[in-house]
Amino acid sequence: MKKRFKVLAVCGSGTVTSSMVALKLKEALEEEGISISTTEAKPTEALNLVSGGGYDFIINTSPLIAGDYGVPIINAVGFLTGFGEEEFIENIMSVIKDINNK
Amino acid sequence: MIDLDLVLLNMEAKTSTDVINNLGKLMLNKNYVKDSYINAVIEREKELPTGLNIGNFYVAIPHTDSNHVNKSNIAIATLKSTVEFREMINPEAKINVELVFLLAVKDPKEQVTLLKSLMSVFQNKQLLIKVKNAKDKQEVAELLKNIII
Repeated sequence: MKKRFKVLAVCGSGTVTSSMVALKLKEALEEEGISISTTEAKPTEALNLVSGGGYDFIINTSPLIAGDYGVPIINAVGFLTGFGEEEFIENIMSVIKDINNK
Repeated sequence: MIDLDLVLLNMEAKTSTDVINNLGKLMLNKNYVKDSYINAVIEREKELPTGLNIGNFYVAIPHTDSNHVNKSNIAIATLKSTVEFREMINPEAKINVELVFLLAVKDPKEQVTLLKSLMSVFQNKQLLIKVKNAKDKQEVAELLKNIII
């Protein structure tokens, strides 16, 4: 069972809200015994980074540019605002489960 | 402790650009940001907006790339009447914002504490409503004393 995941966190500036949700997700998943490494990026950088490979999933607070990312994309705004937090964590856990069942 | 010189209560503004201009000037006066900052934030807001729905209370957190910033800080405005911003995750959606946090973040990797403390404020609807209704700047500072700049 895979316990380490590589996550791309995307927001408009590639820094502020992506770092916030990445920090928060790191802490939330630690409690589940899962560790993540995150890279923060702007929407314009996301497709290139993901095409480079190695990322397990994307979390985003700004819309991504249309394209074939090939990994699950999870909207993290509810996690940022706290309104929709449980749903976000459920989505993340289900993505992790799917990856492990592959 | 937030900088009281960066707080505006009951700002009268018609557009998100007005709000960013007024708050940005406060940041610029104190040299927290570079001359290029205000325009960069305005342009970014057009393309990738920063409005957030905090349980049907609407705030905006305009900001831009760190190369326009000298030193991290935040400027805060309560609005006399709501101002239309667009939503971060869904830029098509217009929302009526009551409270604005203009963010200048220099180096996110080094500023974990600032980012975490800001996020805990955005997630606290009751606190945001209190800030919106604050009678003076000292009250805003007291309410936001957990923000670590």
